[in-house]
Order: sequence, then structure tokens, then C-alpha cells
Amino acid sequence: MAMSRRGFGIGLVAASAAATGGYLYLREHPEIAGRFGEAKKLFGFAGGEKEGFLANARVRGVLERRFGLILDGRRAGSVEMVREPALLDQKPQFLWPSSSVLVEVARSSGVKISRDQVIFNSPIVLYSWDRIADGLVKGGFAEPMGGPRYKADLSKLLKAIIAGETWAAIGVADLFGRARIVCTDPNKSNSGFMFAGLAASLLSGDVVMPETLNRIDGDVATVFRRMGFKPPSSGKLFDDYVAGGAGAQPLIVGYENQLVEWVLQDAERWKRLEANAPAKPVILYPQPTVFSAHPLISIERQADDLIDALMNESLQEMAWEDHGFRGPLGTIGKARNALLQSRLIERIDAVLPMPDAPVMLALLNRLAA
Amino acid sequence: MSLAFFPRRWLALLAAAPLIAVLLSGCSGGPGPQFTILSGSENDVLEPLVQEFCKSRNAVCTMRYQGSLDIALALKGDDPPADAVWPAASIWIDMFDTKRRVKSVKSIVQMPVILGVRRSKAQELNWIGAKVTAKDILAAVEAGRLKFLMTSATQSNSGAAAYLAMLAAGIGKPDLIEAGDLDKPEVLATARGLLKGVERSAGSSGWLADLYRDGERNGAHYQAIWNYEAVIKETNDKLIADGHEPLYAIYPEDGVAVADSPLGFVDRGRGKDVEAFFGDLQAFLLKGEVQARIAKTGRRVEVGRAAPLPADPKTNLDPARALNVIRPPEPAVIQKALSIYQEALRRPSLTALCLDVSGSMQGAGEAQLLDAMRFLLTPARTRELLVQWTKADEILLLPFNDHVLWTARATGGEAEQATLLAQALELHAGGGTDFYTCSERALVAMKPLLDGAEHLPAIVIMTDGKSQGYMSTFEAAWRTDGRRVPVFGVTFGDQVDRSQLDNLAKLTGGRVFDGTKSLTDAFRAVRGYN
Repeated sequence: MAMSRRGFGIGLVAASAAATGGYLYLREHPEIAGRFGEAKKLFGFAGGEKEGFLANARVRGVLERRFGLILDGRRAGSVEMVREPALLDQKPQFLWPSSSVLVEVARSSGVKISRDQVIFNSPIVLYSWDRIADGLVKGGFAEPMGGPRYKADLSKLLKAIIAGETWAAIGVADLFGRARIVCTDPNKSNSGFMFAGLAASLLSGDVVMPETLNRIDGDVATVFRRMGFKPPSSGKLFDDYVAGGAGAQPLIVGYENQLVEWVLQDAERWKRLEANAPAKPVILYPQPTVFSAHPLISIERQADDLIDALMNESLQEMAWEDHGFRGPLGTIGKARNALLQSRLIERIDAVLPMPDAPVMLALLNRLAA
Repeated sequence: MSLAFFPRRWLALLAAAPLIAVLLSGCSGGPGPQFTILSGSENDVLEPLVQEFCKSRNAVCTMRYQGSLDIALALKGDDPPADAVWPAASIWIDMFDTKRRVKSVKSIVQMPVILGVRRSKAQELNWIGAKVTAKDILAAVEAGRLKFLMTSATQSNSGAAAYLAMLAAGIGKPDLIEAGDLDKPEVLATARGLLKGVERSAGSSGWLADLYRDGERNGAHYQAIWNYEAVIKETNDKLIADGHEPLYAIYPEDGVAVADSPLGFVDRGRGKDVEAFFGDLQAFLLKGEVQARIAKTGRRVEVGRAAPLPADPKTNLDPARALNVIRPPEPAVIQKALSIYQEALRRPSLTALCLDVSGSMQGAGEAQLLDAMRFLLTPARTRELLVQWTKADEILLLPFNDHVLWTARATGGEAEQATLLAQALELHAGGGTDFYTCSERALVAMKPLLDGAEHLPAIVIMTDGKSQGYMSTFEAAWRTDGRRVPVFGVTFGDQVDRSQLDNLAKLTGGRVFDGTKSLTDAFRAVRGYN
């Protein structure tokens, strides 16, 4: 078929307008971008606690098909990824640490941030065992919240630990020795880092500031000294907790989503445990607690799309359903897992912000001494 | 494209291609990697499971058994000689893996370190069915009513765990030793008292358990042994099968140390396939059915993974028993406790070194021997590996060929070591070989100190050859002396014949070490045994 020059010109203009409009439309609607054109590959670092989420086939499928994104997310410690030249020199397009304070730290290490946005939240909780939690209730250090879940008066508990009280004295009759809470090494791992911040704020009566830190840093150091050996990663500590049982690991610090992931990993194991084990894992929610936020830092404009994709409802729901991550405001998703429902609480109202980066760095130095 | 372009034979091949691919890569699998694991000796019972997995992947797996310190030191070096490590406890990885090369660490089993006491001895101490604390154990040691076998606290995890538990109880902090607790003067007195209970030491928990059983056969009849719950169970199975008295398990009420048996990947850049292979091996060992098989060996597995063995009232072993667990102290506190052990608390050693300077040692042999002496008698080097001598230790040097050339004696004081080393460096090889006479002479030289019963004695024979003379020369003297001194052998050279040394070691409850690769390493290992 022959075409006039005019017709060809109009066609060309129309096609280019459509292409531009389409491009703009796709940019506005990243959720359908994956259906057109080639998927975009993004490389970056993510904290180990999100490894399961990033490896989840459902998550990868949605990211690629709907958003046209293929992630090469490598595991790195939250603190090191925002500070270590060896990692930053690899030119990551995004960083996904597990605390908002670390966005500030990244900026101060010279990372050029295009955008940052909290994607998930997971509260810092205490993991214990039903018989120990019941003892703490008797001693006035915890309160049942219906079902095998509790809120803990962490401030009171910390003071008892600092005073050198025994387990028996705080209501836990069958444990020997002095009471203790164990967390990870705060100089290496984020959950220990956040617990140090929370403990400091609780002991100072408010979010700890440079001028209040030296009043309570000795007490925080006592709490940490009572722990003895502190494992280097949150995952290892949680493994030790479930493997060691109530005698070895009576009370540890972790993220709420760790129990969720562990239960979902092998539901049969959980059912066996619920039916037979002499003690069953329980969560104690400190009042107040801190949220481990998971801010995605996009370093290149290209990675901004990843933020939009991860904020999408379907991925947020998967993060909750399969991995126990709460949304950016600390809210839970729609799914209710029968295995866990009675152990989690829906709303966490009492939340303290983390102290500022310089205060945290000073506290870390004190604890490393 | 039309299929008509392909001849029928090709079509048949195309149809079969998936099947061929499966045959090549699937069930029988392509060749798997060569994979080496450095492991504590307590895992030898689990090796068949590892090999079962490796076989299913056509991989060649080697488990090399070492003490925890050796595994830890391998990680500290520039080129770790393994793809995975499996020590008894994580703390050894965390303290020594300064380059953070070990990844994906997961605990495979949990093993409390407990005291197995000869049942009649437990009865005598009124410990049957009783609640026994670490403090009670210390009291029995102090009263001279109990002696035990324990591995070296600086070389092996079970010894370190037992030592730290007793030390914690001794200073009245049975739940945790904190920084500062070890600075008080009374700590040393308590700890010296508890280590008086050590009858024999060793660098490996598995070997120590064999020593206990050998004691039943050769008449030594040891009273007790600190070891892993599962190793005590394995020892009991063998003791009962041989018609010997079993061990009664004592779980100290105030706190038991638990080893977490971590299996971790050593990243030395061998690529994703090797790492994935490791991940699958670890997952295999943690699978419910495999954990159930592991639980049958008396090891504790994670709650909900498998049912533990039932309790045995006769031996008091009960892998389901709830324990009060001692927290491991901070690494700096452990380092301090271990150097106290080595420097001040350990029973002083009395070591006679029989050094072969016969003609066959000329050249390389002589050079290696002198190198080993330089290591052994240079405090800066031995301290680094926690095998330093102290002033209370006694060292005898007996160079020999067909006769003993001379005998020199020194304490472990720095100046005396230097004098001894200067003497040793004068040695030149020549003449025949008779280590039976040398070890007999060593026994004579040791006698005055042996009678004081303060020292842990040992004779170490370093040789590259076959001895002339007769074993009876030594054996008669050893029996007359009351069979107190174990003989260790260190071999090297290409022509080495171990059988004579093996017989001496077997007779005396010693061990032969292979010094052909590194005499220095072999000597260091010997030091872990006394």
C-alpha cells in the first residue's frame, strides 16, 4: 500500500507522541512497566534479615513481571554497608539497611542519596519461653495480653538486671543465677545496636541525648556485661535460642518477624513443638519499644522505581504474609496465620524513636571498651 | 520452521535430549566438588551422614579431625586449608576468624559438657540420684576424693568448658564470669585447687574417652572424665559391651556449659557451586529425618526437630533433661582465663624429650629437629599458641643415638630455656638408634620429681627410624615405677616405622604424632597432652 509523505509525517508524529505518552504513563505506573520492554537490573546491598524476602520466588516474580525489575541484592551487615569503602566502592544502586539512623550515617559517609523511604518495620521484641514469661508476670515484670503473648516492662527489668537480681527474685523460680537479657554484639549487628539505643533511652527516662548519655552509659554497659558472649548476628542468636531452649537462652532480643519466618519455614516442626515441647517460644513486647525500620536508599535515579515497587500493596502483603514484616507505619497486613495469630499483637502504640547517630556512635564506643 | 527438515533419527535424539540431560546431571549427578571439613573429634560418629550426602552428590568429602584451637588457628592463617569448619563451639570461630571468612554458621547439635564418674565412685561420693553442684565437685577434688581426665583447656573445647564451669563455681559466680572477676587473688587459689583434680589431659575429647576405656584394660582405672554428654554415652555403650563398669552422668545443678557444634562455610573464593553444595549439606544435616538419626546417638537437637533418646536411670544420662546453662564469657574474659590456666593454674609439667641424633638424621632431619627445638624453647613463639612453659615446669633434654649423649635439666623460666636451647643447637647427627634405652634413662632422671606427685609427666621420643635394643628395657622400668609416665612419639622422615612407637604409646597411654609435615605442629600437639 502506498502512503503519502504527509500521511507518513503525521503517522511519525503520532507514533512518537504515543511513545512519549506511553513512556510517561509507564513511569507514572511502574506496576505495569514489567509487561513492556526489557527488565531493568539493579544491584545493591541488603541486611541479612531481608535475604528470605529477596529470595522469595513470589516476590521476584512480581518485581520482574509487574515492575520490570530484577534485583541482585547481596547480603551485607546494616552498619557496614553504609560505612565500608570496600562495599561502597562496588557502586551499589541501592542500600537496604535495617535502621533509619543508618540513612544519616550513609549520608555522612558521602553516599549520594537520590531518595530514601522506609519500606518495612519490625519491632524489637524479647523472645522467651512460656514458663519464664509466666514467672515474669508473677514478679510484676510482664503482663499477659491474652494468649501466649505478653508486654514487658523493660525499664523495670533492666533496673533489676543492673541491681544483680537473681531469676528467682524476679519471679522465675527454676532458673539459676542472675537475670539477664542477651542481644547481639551492638558493634556488629543491628538488633544489638537498637537494643542499646532502647536501653539507653529507657534508663535516661527519654530519648537519650548527648548531655544525658554520660549519666546512664555505665548502667547500659552493666546490662551488656551481664550478657557474657554476644553473637555477631541476629540470625545466629535466634538460632541459638530455638536450639538451646529455655535453660540456655531464657530471654533474648530479636525482631518480631524472626519467629514468623521460622514458623513459616517449617509449619510441621512448629506444630510438633506446640504439641510436645516442655517450653514453648513466646514474644514479649517491650513497652515502649523501637522499630527496626528498613529504609531503602536509592543511590541512582534508576533505583527510585524500586521504592515505588516495594511500597506496592501486593509486595507489602507478601512481606507480611511470608516474612512477618509490618508496613512503613507499623501496621500489619491482611493475612492472618492461624499458627501465629495468638502470639502477635496488631497495634504497637508505644514506640520510641532511636537516638541520633552521634549519640549512638558514642554509646557504641562505650560498649566496645 | 517445519519438522520435516530434520531426519527422523535427529527427531528421536531431540526427543530424548531431556532424558539424556537428566542422566548426565540428575539422579546420578555430575561430579560434585572435592570438599574438606575441619571438625572436632566428637563429630566422627556423624561422619557417615556427611559421607552419605557427599556420595549422593558424587562429591569427595574429607573430614579432618582437630582440636578446637587448631581449627581456630587454621582460620586465622592466610590460607585456611578447608571449605568448612565444624568445631565444638561457635566461640572458637568468633574469637579467631578475624577476617570474617566463615559464613552461614548453623548449629547442628547441642552438647552439654558433663562429668562422667565411675559408678562405684559416684556411689562412694553419695552422688547417685543426688543434686550435685560444681561446688560439690570442687569439694571432692579438694578433699582428695576425686580425680578426673579433662582435655587441655587451651587446646580443646570440652576442657575449656569444664575448666570455665569449675572456675565460675569456684569464684561464686556459677552463671557467668565477668571482666574483673579474675583479678581477685583468691581466684587463683580456688583454681589451683580444682586443677589438682586433673589426672590426665589431652588435646582431643575423642582420644581422652579412648584413654578412659584403655584404663579399664590396662589397670589404670581412672575415676572420672569431663566430656560431652554424647561422648560419655558412646563410652558407656562400649564399656558395657566389654563388661566394664559404666560412668554415671553428673550434670552440675548450678550450670553446665553447652557446645553448639556450629557448621560454617569457609569462603575461599571457590565459587557459587561449592557454596551451594555446602548449603545443601547443612540443610541435609538439619532435615527432620537426619536430625532424628542424630538424636539416636544421644545428641541433643533443636526443639521440635526430633525426639531425644529416653533417659537411662542406670547411667543417669538423659538428653531431654532441662539444664541450667552457663553463658560463655566475653572473648576477652575467656582469653584471660585461658592464659591463667596456662601460666599459673595448670599442674606443672615434667617433660623428658628424647631427641634422635643418629646418623640417619644428618642433613634435613637435623635441620628440622633444631627448628623444632627453636620453636619449643622460644617463649614468644610458644605463647602465641598457648603452649608456653612456665617456671614451675621441668624440661629434661636427652639427645641419643645408640646411647644417651648427655642429660640436661631446666625449668621453664625464660633464661633457663635459652641455655637449654643453646645446648641443643650444638647437636650433630651420627651413630645408631636406641630409643628404648633413652626412655628408660628418662624415667630414671624423672624419678625424684615424680615422687613429689606435683607434675604431669610425659616422655616424648622424636625419631625418624627404627630402634635397636629391646622394648623390655623400658617396659620393666616403667612397670616397676608404677606405670605413671605416658610415652608420646613424634615421627618424621620418609623411612619412618611407627610400629615400635605405637607399641610404646599403647602400653603407656600415650600417642604418636606425625611430624613428617611439620615437626613444630607435632610438638605443639604433644604439649596439649601434658
